[in-house]
Amino acid sequence: MITPPFEFSLIVTAAADVLTVEVAGELDHQTSDALVRTVVGHLSPGGAAFRRVRLDFGRLTWIDSMGLSALLAVHRHAGAVGVTLHLDSRPGFLERLLTLTGTLDHLTTTVTTTAAAGDPVPEAEAG
Amino acid sequence: MLVVDRAGGIVEANDAARTVLPDVTGGDGPYENLPDWLTEAHRHMTGGLGATWAEPPSGAIGGRHFEAHPRPGADGDVAWWLIDATDRHLAEETLRREQERAAILSEVSSTLLSSLNVPRCMEVTARLATRHLADAAVLVAPAQGRRHPVTYAQAHGPAVRVTRAVDPATVPGLAEALQGFPPVPTRWIDPGAIPAWAIPEGFEGPVGSVTVTPLPGHGVPAGALILLRSSTVRAFTESENVFARLFAARAGAALSAARLYTEQAAVTATLMQELLPPALGGVHGVDYAGGYRPAQDSERIGGDFYDVHPGADPSQESLVVLGDVAGKGLDAAVLTGKIRNTLHALLPLAHDHQHVLNLLNAALLTSRHTRFATLVLVSARHRAGRVRLRLTSAGHLPPLIVRADGRVEESGTRGNLVGAMPAVSVRTEETVLAPGETCLLYTDGITEARGGPLGGELYGVERLKRALAECAGMPAEAVVERVQMLAAQWLGQGRHDDMAVIAISAPRPRPLTVTGGDMHRGHSGNPGRSGRPGEPGVPGDPGTPHERHGRSA
Repeated sequence: MITPPFEFSLIVTAAADVLTVEVAGELDHQTSDALVRTVVGHLSPGGAAFRRVRLDFGRLTWIDSMGLSALLAVHRHAGAVGVTLHLDSRPGFLERLLTLTGTLDHLTTTVTTTAAAGDPVPEAEAG
Repeated sequence: MLVVDRAGGIVEANDAARTVLPDVTGGDGPYENLPDWLTEAHRHMTGGLGATWAEPPSGAIGGRHFEAHPRPGADGDVAWWLIDATDRHLAEETLRREQERAAILSEVSSTLLSSLNVPRCMEVTARLATRHLADAAVLVAPAQGRRHPVTYAQAHGPAVRVTRAVDPATVPGLAEALQGFPPVPTRWIDPGAIPAWAIPEGFEGPVGSVTVTPLPGHGVPAGALILLRSSTVRAFTESENVFARLFAARAGAALSAARLYTEQAAVTATLMQELLPPALGGVHGVDYAGGYRPAQDSERIGGDFYDVHPGADPSQESLVVLGDVAGKGLDAAVLTGKIRNTLHALLPLAHDHQHVLNLLNAALLTSRHTRFATLVLVSARHRAGRVRLRLTSAGHLPPLIVRADGRVEESGTRGNLVGAMPAVSVRTEETVLAPGETCLLYTDGITEARGGPLGGELYGVERLKRALAECAGMPAEAVVERVQMLAAQWLGQGRHDDMAVIAISAPRPRPLTVTGGDMHRGHSGNPGRSGRPGEPGVPGDPGTPHERHGRSA
């Protein structure tokens, strides 16, 4: 028996040069796309000039591999426009996943020169 | 108003009645000049049954529709008041026909959509068309190469499917319909010009009327429907043409869905075949066993995979790979294939796991997405009764090692996942398996299996470790079976993701025996610690011979 998933929601707050996105519920193959689209939408040229993106995971209930893929995509987009990514209030399961996959340092460091740098900013990939 | 006597003679008719029934004279003989339906109604009245109808009797007189309301008079006369109900009757007729058509359309949809088989869908469409629309129907599907699949049906006959080279241009409007253009009006099609191939064999009589209707699909047309009526039946009316179009829309949608499904199923089957894990066994003195249980939604290919690449000779290392690609479906399948092929090509460099993983990472990196894979590489070599392992995890769950005494160690290897970050850095760990010891690689389908006594609980690494502690001394195959069985029990009826497991074991030595002049190593009894009191027997219980694992020394 699988318990019904918690409602997935994204609450976006833009204050000064910080974009905060509170991610609640399950970040998985069904919902991860929405996160990427939301963040990329706010970082698009012509919008407000953010210097930081804070993802708040205080109410995250689960993350799967596609959820992690979304975090990597968000990080890549942020890096491409010189925005620093912060992963706040990480629950234990998220911390363990980031540690296991060796992505924690990568995601919390601004990398402006990825292998994909110079390529046009890609569209979010469907899950 | 008509007054009709007991015998059926019209004794009186007012002017209005005479207008409707101009032949009435007022001295008509029994039932002379009365329409049949009114005659019957009158007999019903005078036969002693009285006016017991739920609806007043009605029928046609001179091309119009009348209702007759009786008023019994003296001496058994009946005064019939005729009321012109033509308009209401027409409206009711139209409504009834529309209701019938709606029922037919919903039957079409439900019958067709229950089948995802394309040929069956075409047969059903043709047969339904002959039942509701025409004497014969010919369904022409888009060409496959230079031939078109053509399905013929006639009323009360079976549907016949053939694939033949036909020229759509020979039927007016067919070439256009196959390209999805709107239908050509029936009146423009000369029934005499219909070629023989477009008429089902055994069609009775010359063709009297033809419609050609496109079957609209998803984007591309699903085919065209030729409807034929013999010359003894009235021609297609405009309203029937409209209905044929509605019918075709439903049929086209169903056919299109069936075709998409068939293509997808074929693609899935092909990829599944390609991605199927290999059969494992003993290689160069090391035992390998693998188990793969795909997720239930078999339409979506999962992302777990494993391979064992044997070393060129017993002195060379064999490379074991177990991995998990993020996501499911076609994208995951493509990435899985890419990883397996790339690793195969990189085998000559397998002595340096970090190097191999970085080359793989570079091959996978793309600006299009951040889909990644986690994997474990294990290089294994048998040496003097023991198996030396080099273990490297690229962001994957660390291998578990089951020692002979039942201790379960978690390998200390760790590293970055591949395919989404600029570089990969890993820590490779070495270990040695004594005879009877096993190294287990697994995917999170096992540890994230949800179930248990309360349901919804994760199986977890700790539970897996406890289970493995009881597998000490078991052969590789038995360990895999045990882990798969426990995960299945934990799941119960619950849904699960892909689950992949590989066990790498150092075989136990067996006492030397001589059989038929060949020297074999016998299989020793298993001194493992499984088989606690009250626990069900498991493969590899002490004392159970496992001859199938024996092999020539």
